[in-house]
Amino acid sequence: MSVQDTLTRWRYRYVPDHVLGELLSKNWIDNVIPFFMLVGSIAVFGSIVPGFFEPFTLSDSTRQLAEVGFVAMGMAIVMLAGGIDLSVGSVFAIGNFLTLALINLLGWPVFVTLPVVLAACAAIGLVNGLLIGFLRLRAFLTTLVTLIIFRSAADLLVLTYGTRLATGGASSPLWDYLAYGDVYGMPVSCLVVLVVAIILHVMLTRSRFGWHLLAVGGSRRSAHNAGIKVRRTVCLTYVLSSTLTGLGSFFYAARIGSAASDAGLGMEVLVLTAVVLGGNSLGGGRGSVAKALMGTVIVLTLTNSLISLGLQSGASTLVLAVALLIGVAIDVKWLKNRHKVISSVYVSPAYFSMPTCPPTDPDSGSPYAQNDRLKDVELIGLGELDGPEDVIFDRDDNLYTGSRHGDVIRFLAPDYKKRELFAHIGGQTLGFAFDRNDHLNVCVGGMGLYKVLPDGEVVRQTDETNRSLWSIIDDSRMRLADDLDIAPDGRIFFSEATIRYDIAEWATDSVETRGNGRIVCYDPRSGKTRTVLQNLVFPNGVCIANDGQSFFFAETWAARISRYWFDGPRKGKLEVVIPDLPGLPDNINRASDGTYWCALMGMRAPVVDMALRMPGFRRRMAMRVAHDEWMYPNINAGCIIRFDDNGTVLESYWDAGGVNHPQTTSMREHKGWLYIGGVHNNRIGRLRLPDADPNWTSNDSYWGSRK
Amino acid sequence: METVTAPGASKVSVKITQEWIVFALAVVIFALFSLILRGFATVDNMLALVRNVSILGILSVGMALSILGRGIDLSIVATMAVSVAWMILMLGEGVAPPTAFALALAFVVLVGAANGFLVAYVEIPAVFTTLAMGGLVYGLGRFAMISVDIVNLPPGQDWLRGFGSGTLAGIPAPVIVFAVVCVVAYLFLSYAKAGRFVYALGDNPAAARISGVPVRPLIVLQYVIAALIAFCAGLVMTANVDSMNTRIVNSTLVYDVILVVVLGGIGLGGGKGGIRNVVVGTLLIGILLNGMTIMNIPFLMQNIIKGIILLAAIVADTLLNPRDEQTSQQGDI
Amino acid sequence: MKGIRKMLAAAVAVAALAGGSVARAEPYDDGVNQRAYTAMKGKKVAFVPLSMGFDLTQGWAAAMKVQADAMGYELIIRDPNWSTDAGAQQITQLISQKPDIIVVHNPDRNAYARLLKRVQGQGIKVLQVNLKSETTTEAFVGVDWYKIGEHQANSVVEACKGKSGKVAIMQGRVTDPANFITVQAVKDVFAKHPEIQVVSDQSSEWDATKAQGIAATALKQNPDMCGIVGLWDNMDVGTAAAIREAGLTGKVFLSSSGGGRKQADCDMVESGTFDEVVIYDVARQGRDLNAAIAFLLQQDGEAKVNPFALITPLKVVTKANLKPNSCWQMEQIPDLVQ
Repeated sequence: MSVQDTLTRWRYRYVPDHVLGELLSKNWIDNVIPFFMLVGSIAVFGSIVPGFFEPFTLSDSTRQLAEVGFVAMGMAIVMLAGGIDLSVGSVFAIGNFLTLALINLLGWPVFVTLPVVLAACAAIGLVNGLLIGFLRLRAFLTTLVTLIIFRSAADLLVLTYGTRLATGGASSPLWDYLAYGDVYGMPVSCLVVLVVAIILHVMLTRSRFGWHLLAVGGSRRSAHNAGIKVRRTVCLTYVLSSTLTGLGSFFYAARIGSAASDAGLGMEVLVLTAVVLGGNSLGGGRGSVAKALMGTVIVLTLTNSLISLGLQSGASTLVLAVALLIGVAIDVKWLKNRHKVISSVYVSPAYFSMPTCPPTDPDSGSPYAQNDRLKDVELIGLGELDGPEDVIFDRDDNLYTGSRHGDVIRFLAPDYKKRELFAHIGGQTLGFAFDRNDHLNVCVGGMGLYKVLPDGEVVRQTDETNRSLWSIIDDSRMRLADDLDIAPDGRIFFSEATIRYDIAEWATDSVETRGNGRIVCYDPRSGKTRTVLQNLVFPNGVCIANDGQSFFFAETWAARISRYWFDGPRKGKLEVVIPDLPGLPDNINRASDGTYWCALMGMRAPVVDMALRMPGFRRRMAMRVAHDEWMYPNINAGCIIRFDDNGTVLESYWDAGGVNHPQTTSMREHKGWLYIGGVHNNRIGRLRLPDADPNWTSNDSYWGSRK
Repeated sequence: METVTAPGASKVSVKITQEWIVFALAVVIFALFSLILRGFATVDNMLALVRNVSILGILSVGMALSILGRGIDLSIVATMAVSVAWMILMLGEGVAPPTAFALALAFVVLVGAANGFLVAYVEIPAVFTTLAMGGLVYGLGRFAMISVDIVNLPPGQDWLRGFGSGTLAGIPAPVIVFAVVCVVAYLFLSYAKAGRFVYALGDNPAAARISGVPVRPLIVLQYVIAALIAFCAGLVMTANVDSMNTRIVNSTLVYDVILVVVLGGIGLGGGKGGIRNVVVGTLLIGILLNGMTIMNIPFLMQNIIKGIILLAAIVADTLLNPRDEQTSQQGDI
Repeated sequence: MKGIRKMLAAAVAVAALAGGSVARAEPYDDGVNQRAYTAMKGKKVAFVPLSMGFDLTQGWAAAMKVQADAMGYELIIRDPNWSTDAGAQQITQLISQKPDIIVVHNPDRNAYARLLKRVQGQGIKVLQVNLKSETTTEAFVGVDWYKIGEHQANSVVEACKGKSGKVAIMQGRVTDPANFITVQAVKDVFAKHPEIQVVSDQSSEWDATKAQGIAATALKQNPDMCGIVGLWDNMDVGTAAAIREAGLTGKVFLSSSGGGRKQADCDMVESGTFDEVVIYDVARQGRDLNAAIAFLLQQDGEAKVNPFALITPLKVVTKANLKPNSCWQMEQIPDLVQ
């Protein structure tokens, strides 16, 4: 290995390139821009505005922040559901007036006033909600009109009662505490806003209503078609918005104590700016209350600081407008180009050095020497199948296979002419194994590990494992569980080929050839799922060895087969048994004579082997070349090999013409026949094995003969 | 030669549109007021009626243009206030009227072009662009150009006062300006190539673009025209009250303008409607305000009644032309 | 050598003279003047107006700047641009900067009432200008709004003699203290005159365009109206425009009030837009403000000051008594104050 190779290897081992793409693909990355704006504005103004960081100023500034924050959160919720509420400023004025009227004029206690004000504001919001939610009026126009109506109503109230309010001014300790009190230095209103924010956040992200709301905002039509009560959900967002506005106005009334008609005037613009600057999008579906609060802090910091700097009147409006323009421009451009950016940086190739490729020439004398032994297979279900990745038999000799459509298909013994749908699972069915109770265990791409009972009922076994500590991607979720086998004690070991790609783009993982995969163990006795082995290069075919204490597994892109002991004296040991296959191994299964079958789904090529040592080259390819033009390894070969416990390859079966089996991903020996499947095939082949035990079945081999 | 009729066109179907509802409403209210209110149906009052809403009407024409092209111009009031205030401030400082006028006009064109550029080329949604530009223009104006809220029109300058207090054949100048703006806008939309393209743009921007319509320059043009119309309205307003109050930016005037446009039946989705709709919307508001004035209803109460009638019009439109869950556009608020 | 020394001494002497009497090496002390200089030097005075966008506040600020520059204290201006909330926020933030005096221009009677108590609690003196809050603080400089109202109402009553007796009141913002007191005075006067009938009494939020709409409405309903009491010159430009539009100039007596800026008041009287303006001279108020500030700055920090008020005398300007110097212009303010 040359020095340069070594350097490349170290460079790609220790610089985590893949992290960037993973970070960008996270949903919370949208928060980064507003967050830096927040930090930036606080840093800039904190340094030039005198007294900005004094505890007194900070704690008192947050009172105003809290009041606007309530309104902004309400606006964010409405916008999340795809609407807009321009009437918040007017509702704020009404809430402010009501609070003062009840407390100053009627002398009601605070604890009675608060619920009454909130209920009144909710009722006002209900007007918006009924009109927009149930009558399906346009949100923008409707709230525009209600803005004018409510504002006039508030003005009318102030005109009628304003003079009496102006001379009033009841005061109680609780009322003063709400206005100027604090809890450990934190203003009461600020504390309340944080509590409400947490409640709202949990509601949005964890509750049924929140999910419905986001669904409606994300795609109203789909939400409607999925049976979500769109109208009710939309209506409730306006009620929530007005109620939150009422809460804000309650604290405002406590602090300012004035029924001046400029309360909440122009607030809709301020709040809209805040919410959008925080990163909530106008179309709905994207955003959070945290973003709304961040935006509020940015906007208020900007405006207050500019006034504090003593600039002429227009300055704060000017800066706010520029901030809004920049914020939205960034948001628009980011939304538009996000996928481009992610797709060009997400694929992150790693260094991998392939061992020498053994010869496969027909006359080379190697066990891999090409032949045409698969030419004479009998075909089952030709043209009726789409992607039979794996094949398996029950004790009554019926054949089961999977499909791209998420089905388990059964061909009935003895001639396998009659086909029936055994179960529908939903995700692509990849690996099969029967357990001791004759239940069919299935690895389902994108879903996890499932079980089908003899009557066809589908039961989920596991779809998540322990999350690793430092992973950015949520690797607790199963993205691509692909093959499994069951230990004598019932534990299920299954491979997950990659945690970085979904089933639809599994081949892209070959461009990376990093250890993105893992082997996971599910224990049905405890119901626990744990990751056993990590950082495997596209682990695939898992097969429990005949000793019952270890399993073989293939690492496809690495072209090798390894063995791991999970029990017995060698427990915990991992050993590469075949380091240098000529092709890319897939499923492994037991053979009748105590050896193992392995399917090679593609062949290695010198240029690909070389490219694997040149990650920079593959990276440039992924960034600059169209997806369709990328260099992938060959995955169009039909070859099955047989090896023993020591890793000695005994023989191979080739489909030289590639007619019957352009790709083999699995094979299963059953009663003297070898059944062959391929994930891109439209058939299952079966080949007579003249030397095999005509009564051997894998069920007997694993669980003993029943008779 | 045989004329080919489309299958649906043979049947004359009277589609009840919002324009018709509003027009009918206007007629009914007009008839009602004529009957019960003394002094309503007189020529004098009719002129006063139109005169009182002429500024609103002029602004609505500008707004209508931007909405027809699937945009919206929330900066229209700020543009109006700041450009005209700046102009009369310059006049007060002794700048020659042609120079002051040209500078203000240049400023207005600049603002319109900036709006158009941000919408067309930076692709910021029109609502945000113009909302922010409104703030920007007002902020810039108050920060760098005009140090006071209210600028008074200096003595003299009769050419400018003529826009407000002049009459032509007994018709007040604001009404004439409104009429001229309407006619020019109508001719532009109906006969100019760019005007027809505005409809194409509003109907389906992507299709317009594929068909070879220069969509981006067209958007810029649309906002420049809207800004110029705003300038017109500003001249009339200044001439009316001898001053320009920049704080009008913070009032609900821009919302009133949108309501007139939408009330007349121009959909916010763009591409539907014309100047006729603006006139109908303006007239309804004018009749309402005038009637309520005669009925001695307080100013704030008038606002509430106006709002409720607008709301009723929108509700009626929605009930008669319900939106379909399956075909409504995402993000169409 | 000696020559150089002499020259240096001469230079120092010239510099000292150029620096003015305050900076003289051995200043003359009459027992009070030096005390006053040192008491004011380096102090901080903050000014929170309604907005810096109109003549009153700009005039006051210009006047206060003159004394601040002369006496070497700092004048901080925080412009909330008509937002009560922003104003409250600015006062809150000022507390931590510990200015010696905050000059507050209240938007209404309640808005800053509790805040001002807090400000005083921090040992900062509060000087209220023109509009007084519910909270009484150390000093108040401004007009007696009740007197303005009385005068305006009486003028209108006078003008309405032998006419319909229908009048209108054009209010600004109802919760505004100035508005509140003036309207009370106007109503008190009208109550004594049964022939006067108030046909319109509405609020226009200090906005000329709104005022125009309201006045136009009122005039259309009552073309025989004989007088309007307007509460602020800048707003009443709109009221006057409505009168002019209705063709009633000269027939409807319009009384307004304002700070006496030439363009806003005297020019308007001259052109017949207003029939009379009650002026509270901003230049005079500026001098009063400076006096109050100087007085407050010379008090010991902790000593309690008895609340005091400097009431601005009123000046009524009509076409009959209009003189070239009845009003002021912004650029004259420094000269008028010095």
